[in-house]
Amino acid sequence: MRSTDAIRRLLALVLGCATLVPALAQQSRDELAKSLPPTNLTSDDVQVGASMIGVAPGFANAKVADNPGAPGATAVGERTCIACHRLESEHFTHTFHALGLHAASKADASIPVCETCHGPGSAHAKDPGAKGLIIGYTKDSGTPIETQTKTCLACHAGGPRDRWLGSVHQRNGLSCTDCHNPMAKFSAEGLMARASINDTCAQCHRDVRLQFNRRSHMPLPEGQMSCDDCHNPHGSVTNPLLKTNSVNETCYQCHAEKRGPFLFEHAPVRESCLNCHTPHGSNQQTLLVTPLPFLCQQCHSGLRHPNDLHTPGSLGNGAHPDERAMGRACVTCHANIHGSNAPSGPKFHE
Amino acid sequence: MRTPRLLRPLPLAAAIAAVAANARADSGVGVDTWRANKLDPTAGATVEGCDARGTSWLEAGGHRTPTGNLYACPPPSPATADHGAWTTSGILSVGAVATGGDDGNALWNRYVDWDGGIVLALLAFEAERAADGSYASVRASRISDDDEYYQAVFGRAGSYKVQAFLRDMPNLVTNTAKPIWNGVGTNHLTLPAGYAAGASTPDAIAGLSAATPERTLGVTREKQGLGFSVYLTPQWTAYANATDEQRHGARPFGGPFFFNFPFPDNGGVLETVKPIDDSTVNLSGGFRYAGTTWRMEFGYSGSFYRDRYTRYTYEMPFALAPLVPGAVSAPLTTGQFATEPDNDWHNLKAAFTRKLPLNGELSITASGGRMSQDDTLIPPVACAGVFGIGLDGNLQTGPQNPYLYDCANWNTPDALSRRSADMRIDTSLLDARMVLQPGADLTLRGGLRHEREDYRNVYLAYNPLTGQYGYVSENGSQGSVVPGESGIWDPTDPSAITRIRSLPLDMQTTEANIGADWKVGARDTLGATLAFSRYEPNHRERGTVDDGSIKLSWTNRALDWLTLRANYTYLHQDGDRYDYDPYDFTYSISLPGFVAPPNGVPAHTVDALRKYDVASRSEHKLDLMATFMPRDDMTVSASLRGDFNDYDADLGRKGYDTLGATVQWEWQPAPGSNASVYYAYDRSKLRMANINEINDGGSNPSIGGNTYVDIGRWWADDTQRNHNAGVVLAHAFGRVRLDASWNYLHARGTTDYRFASPLALAWADTVIGDGAGGGAFPAMTYRVNSFSVGLHIPLHERVALRVFDLYERGRISDWHYLGFATTHAIDHRVYTDGGPQGYDANLVGVLLDVRL
Repeated sequence: MRSTDAIRRLLALVLGCATLVPALAQQSRDELAKSLPPTNLTSDDVQVGASMIGVAPGFANAKVADNPGAPGATAVGERTCIACHRLESEHFTHTFHALGLHAASKADASIPVCETCHGPGSAHAKDPGAKGLIIGYTKDSGTPIETQTKTCLACHAGGPRDRWLGSVHQRNGLSCTDCHNPMAKFSAEGLMARASINDTCAQCHRDVRLQFNRRSHMPLPEGQMSCDDCHNPHGSVTNPLLKTNSVNETCYQCHAEKRGPFLFEHAPVRESCLNCHTPHGSNQQTLLVTPLPFLCQQCHSGLRHPNDLHTPGSLGNGAHPDERAMGRACVTCHANIHGSNAPSGPKFHE
Repeated sequence: MRTPRLLRPLPLAAAIAAVAANARADSGVGVDTWRANKLDPTAGATVEGCDARGTSWLEAGGHRTPTGNLYACPPPSPATADHGAWTTSGILSVGAVATGGDDGNALWNRYVDWDGGIVLALLAFEAERAADGSYASVRASRISDDDEYYQAVFGRAGSYKVQAFLRDMPNLVTNTAKPIWNGVGTNHLTLPAGYAAGASTPDAIAGLSAATPERTLGVTREKQGLGFSVYLTPQWTAYANATDEQRHGARPFGGPFFFNFPFPDNGGVLETVKPIDDSTVNLSGGFRYAGTTWRMEFGYSGSFYRDRYTRYTYEMPFALAPLVPGAVSAPLTTGQFATEPDNDWHNLKAAFTRKLPLNGELSITASGGRMSQDDTLIPPVACAGVFGIGLDGNLQTGPQNPYLYDCANWNTPDALSRRSADMRIDTSLLDARMVLQPGADLTLRGGLRHEREDYRNVYLAYNPLTGQYGYVSENGSQGSVVPGESGIWDPTDPSAITRIRSLPLDMQTTEANIGADWKVGARDTLGATLAFSRYEPNHRERGTVDDGSIKLSWTNRALDWLTLRANYTYLHQDGDRYDYDPYDFTYSISLPGFVAPPNGVPAHTVDALRKYDVASRSEHKLDLMATFMPRDDMTVSASLRGDFNDYDADLGRKGYDTLGATVQWEWQPAPGSNASVYYAYDRSKLRMANINEINDGGSNPSIGGNTYVDIGRWWADDTQRNHNAGVVLAHAFGRVRLDASWNYLHARGTTDYRFASPLALAWADTVIGDGAGGGAFPAMTYRVNSFSVGLHIPLHERVALRVFDLYERGRISDWHYLGFATTHAIDHRVYTDGGPQGYDANLVGVLLDVRL
């Protein structure tokens, strides 16, 4: 793409977005304060029927988190927290959570900041070394995983996290903060615990991450995509945590040309792309599970040419160069192997 | 007629109007969750390094995640500037890069376009208004014309977010292409002047190929998108996304004009070049509700693919010859492919979750979709004149030449049973899940899922001009070499076996599972899940495929210095009777008037073969993950994963086993200093078997009959081994930061084989002697050493200099391309791609980081 084209496209988008800024972003503090709900709002019934556009309803519901580990504790406010945790506060200030919570707290002083996530701080302030008196999100915090995740889900329930309960990550005892760290801006997006989504997933799935270093791979090491493009780590309707209903629908998100439906379909292709391809990386061409022609010969033993055993003699430097083993092998002729829309393509020749 | 390309480029008006449509995807919907490039896959997160003060003044060292991994050191606070109510910060990183060595290599340039010269490594600018939480940001990076991204976001925390982006991503497929045709990248490939289509000699084409300079082939994706999400109330949110992506370029493809291997100086096997010029618009949008009792989501997703071309054609250089003495083959000059059809996809989804007593939840998701296409169909053949064989030695159609056909009856849309494809698949999904937590220590789970795909049309290969069934095989070439194998059936040739119908692949899957998780004390959790799945495909070898599995899991945190997770799954797959040939109805065999050949209908395949997706199998799967914390500043992570599959198949896939282990040591002795070392090994072995026939017209599908005998059996094992290792170092020498890394991959794949006798072989004379034997292909290897080193040198409070170097050495051997270094053209075979090549390449760069 030429740079002028890029500039033209960028301008179009930015200008388009910019026209909306005055309408949605400019709001005085007084207006904000008037429109914010008066105090903690946890009921479904709150503000029913009232449009909340423009009043930051996402943070207006913030309340002091419930900490079963400190049942008698009371809120102490952000200033008290900062008295000891100044450096943490400095890092936190540049995060998205801080922006929203501070704005909401300024409009309504009853809206907590630190204690939204960490629970009431009085017991912790009295005995800072005692574990569990404040909701912590670290290995040695003394806060049960369930309390940690419940606290996050108090604001983040539903949507992509609707299937968290019962998901494989939940069942294996992961906490939100195994992957996210909202205390500083560690990543460009997503408040991840590591510098990227991919680095975060690789904490546990190092073996999968290394598959992307192989000869053919999805463009993940190059930063062009993330694990999150295909998987929803918070839970989904599929066992491998796919974001869509099936393997193929996931692949079609970027490979829409493979969707068809074709005039002539190839059964294993329609069933699952993973019948022939491995999703993360392969030392074969085009993410194939095993070399051609053997990949095809797992299923095809038809008469004549499909079922011959090839040896190195069939290669380009062999005694009998044979197109069935050379180069693209089977798919040199059966090129439209994902399905053909040609009336003369039942064997994917055209 | 094709629908015009959609939204290319996205016009400004549409961008504004469509702010209710987006490109900002989240972890629940869509792709585009990350924009970065190889220059910095973290999109700038690590540019400024680490805050030397660490995480906290209260305690030394870092914290650990609940699992036990060390949290990273937080970045230093950005330099901010106040502009009235707004506070801004940012960084601009610009400089130059230069490449050397084999910098045109396709593997070195995979998904990156190191063009050299000036680069915008990063522009990140943020503005915030603390008073109401408004914010705006821009992030951009540009390595070259084909490798860049630009992103703009604005919104208000907890209220709304609008996001727009542009992204160009290269995909260099090969740098060893020698296409002999003119018109690469277009939908019509022609031979250069002086090379006659259908009449060139192999020597002439080999010379043409040799004289063709190597070039690169690749595909660039250009994508732009808009995204919008908003809180409507504290409970209701809405989101909308729209993206438009164009792909353009070219890549090696195929081109069949019948076999060359059994017929020297005959046939044609052509690796042509396919043009890529298409666009895809993806849309998604929906509403979500999250209350204390109910959660809901109503969503729509749509995708619209448009290809510039309906077909592409290429010239065939070689002449064909009939196998029958005295006969003559029709001269064929042009081959064709249908491109992927324009297609539309719509999907609606509704999900409901309700809190239940016993601290439980019930979730029900219903989804319905439709994928359809009605692309104009291309004619059955692109020839002019005649195709087939003139048995009497001339090319005049008539009773004397029953296997010679007029192209005019087949090279027109009038030769089709219908003009457009009109294909459609309807999909539906119903998923229900219930979780109950009757006590703090016990979780009970259950789920049901039902999924269907219903085909809504079939295609009949019938020519109304001639009254014949079937199609024109391999651009007319097969019938021009072998009499009677044109692919056409009619009552005058009633024993011809050819495809006459499309294959609808309707299917449904029903799944059920129950499970429980039990916390045994505070530090152990045990889990068990029983699952059953019934897959019912139509027109497959089995009508029912049943999976039953049990999964056991254990999480242990008994030791302060260890978190252990273990999962084991046993699965058994079985099904109803295996029908080795369920496809008769798609062949002329099913036509009234079909007459079986004198020796019977040739066996479709051997009846002992089991296609692995529906074969019976048992699987053992083991997954161990351990996180050790030997010291406050160290973490050792280890994993062991195994997956062992045994297939109940005499022929076909017999087994597929994988076993891998990783270990990684991480050390963070101080803020800004860290080191890690990792090693990983994995091995996979795929075992398969097949059988060659003794009689290519045999009708008996069983081993021991007139078609297959035991001495035709063969076996192959493909074993893949991967060694990965790496070291990462980062250390601050005063204000100067050093980053260095080494990553290594050594992949080695071996394919060895055994055979009962030379009868099994494609070329029996390639082995010496008779009887059982075996051998192996040359190892397929891929070895990469990658070193990088960088220095970050502060020059001023707001300015720093970055110098870096990346050196990579890659070695690859792929036996598919052995001999291609000498020639890409062997007899009637012409290959465009010369295959992957090793490389030694270097990237050096200098960047100036300026805090804005």
